Amino acid sequence: MTGAAYALGVGAALWRRALLEIARVRGGLLPTIIAPIIFLLGTAGQFDRLSDLSDFPTSSYLAWILPLSCLQGAGFAGGAVGANLARDIEQGWFDRLLTSPAPRPLLLLGPVLAAMTRALLPTTVILTAGLVLGVSLTGDLYGLLALYVAAVGFAVVAALWGMTLALWARSQQVGPLIQNGVFLAVFLSTAYTPEVLLQGWLATFAPYNPTTYVLELARQATVAGIEPSWANTWPGLLALAGMGLLWGLVALRLLRRFSR
Amino acid sequence: MSSAALERDPAVQARVVTALAGRGLRIQMRRAQFLIPAFLLPLVLLAVIASGTSAAQNLRGFPDTGAYIGFVVAGTLIQGALLGGITAGISTAADIEGGFFDRLLAAPVHRVSLVLGRVGGTAVLGALQACVFLAVAFAFGARYEGGVVGVAEAVLLASLAAAAAAGLAAAIALRTGSLQLLQNLFPFVFVLLFTAPAFFPRALLQPELQAVADVNPLTFVVEGIRAALHDDPALGDPLTGLLAAAGLAIGATALAVWAMRARMRST
Repeated sequence: MTGAAYALGVGAALWRRALLEIARVRGGLLPTIIAPIIFLLGTAGQFDRLSDLSDFPTSSYLAWILPLSCLQGAGFAGGAVGANLARDIEQGWFDRLLTSPAPRPLLLLGPVLAAMTRALLPTTVILTAGLVLGVSLTGDLYGLLALYVAAVGFAVVAALWGMTLALWARSQQVGPLIQNGVFLAVFLSTAYTPEVLLQGWLATFAPYNPTTYVLELARQATVAGIEPSWANTWPGLLALAGMGLLWGLVALRLLRRFSR
Repeated sequence: MSSAALERDPAVQARVVTALAGRGLRIQMRRAQFLIPAFLLPLVLLAVIASGTSAAQNLRGFPDTGAYIGFVVAGTLIQGALLGGITAGISTAADIEGGFFDRLLAAPVHRVSLVLGRVGGTAVLGALQACVFLAVAFAFGARYEGGVVGVAEAVLLASLAAAAAAGLAAAIALRTGSLQLLQNLFPFVFVLLFTAPAFFPRALLQPELQAVADVNPLTFVVEGIRAALHDDPALGDPLTGLLAAAGLAIGATALAVWAMRARMRST
């Protein structure tokens, strides 16, 4: 067997195993689908009247918040991969993987692939729920594609972040910290209102949060005031690449330290 | 004294409850993975919502509570209480998975005391959280016209809400014994929070959500806190809030006791 075929086999096996978690863990999918949907409804219901303000780029607050909920669901799906790694470490299964001749980066690649796959489910279900509730796809096919790229990319970032924490803490109790990180990344941005309506410290901070640009990438799908364009796309792609690179490198470094 | 006599002795059981509450509180305060969701996350979200949605004050019908942060801090108290409850449930599940809970069951301790210890510890945590959140909001411009009495009422309501959340989370932990499931329940805190007028006045909520909020007991708790802090009956009724919070705490604790008994029967 060639090195590439072997690597592919190992990556695919770890990918399959990570996907099997969906069937194996009771309630494992709940936070990735049901919670963001109820969060979508709750937030839209809570802050609905904000869209009455002038300078708000859409008359539907649901359309504003829908891409955020998709990112949330995808982020939880990615973060769950980190929590599962923490469990594998705590229960000793990861030590067995480390004794195998598999190249170390593949031990992270399989779960990342699983995160990408798992993210499709909450994104699709949440988006469908939004469409059923009356949100329009103002961005057409381009906007839809941008939303999926943002969601899957964000799941990868969340998975790498989760695995970094799992390799650092080596305990299942790091789970809430992983999810909190996803929450914070999303909320310290233009989550609730556009930049022009932000006041105080968040108005200063949000432009420096990469997730602001990932949200803008995703919002091309449903927010009429954010037109599908390369100008609204490339900052989000760059932000995803930067965050992925950062947490990927840190996770690999921690994995090397773990192996020693 | 026999095991049965120890289990019936109120003084002994009071010491057990106090010791378990103290242990639960120490675990909460020592571990970053519990401290962050219980203290840091609500403060960050308070800062985000106070800054991110403060333009809402320009909406017609938004009540005047001085600084916007003074209005939304009531939601933060409830959020902290719910998160504190969930982390208490996670601790319970960790005790079950780690075997500590089995050792407790082998001791001459009344089963109800085990639940009350966890719930009591979280109630104290809820009070601590409330004091911290109110102090931080005050530092950033919130003013409490209700004075010391209003603040004390708000802290009491938050403490009871934390006890209710802890009872509910403990019931789930005892019924399932799954640490992972408890960790996955974390986002549901926001479901409970956003189906109450936590950060927006009930009158300005979307009509469908308003209908849900009308029957959500947390609505009365959060409005009670707001009314107590600002000494304004138009914002809510502290007494109704107290009744709702106490009812939730008692109901959730009873549920946890039932889950404990069900667990005993099945193991």
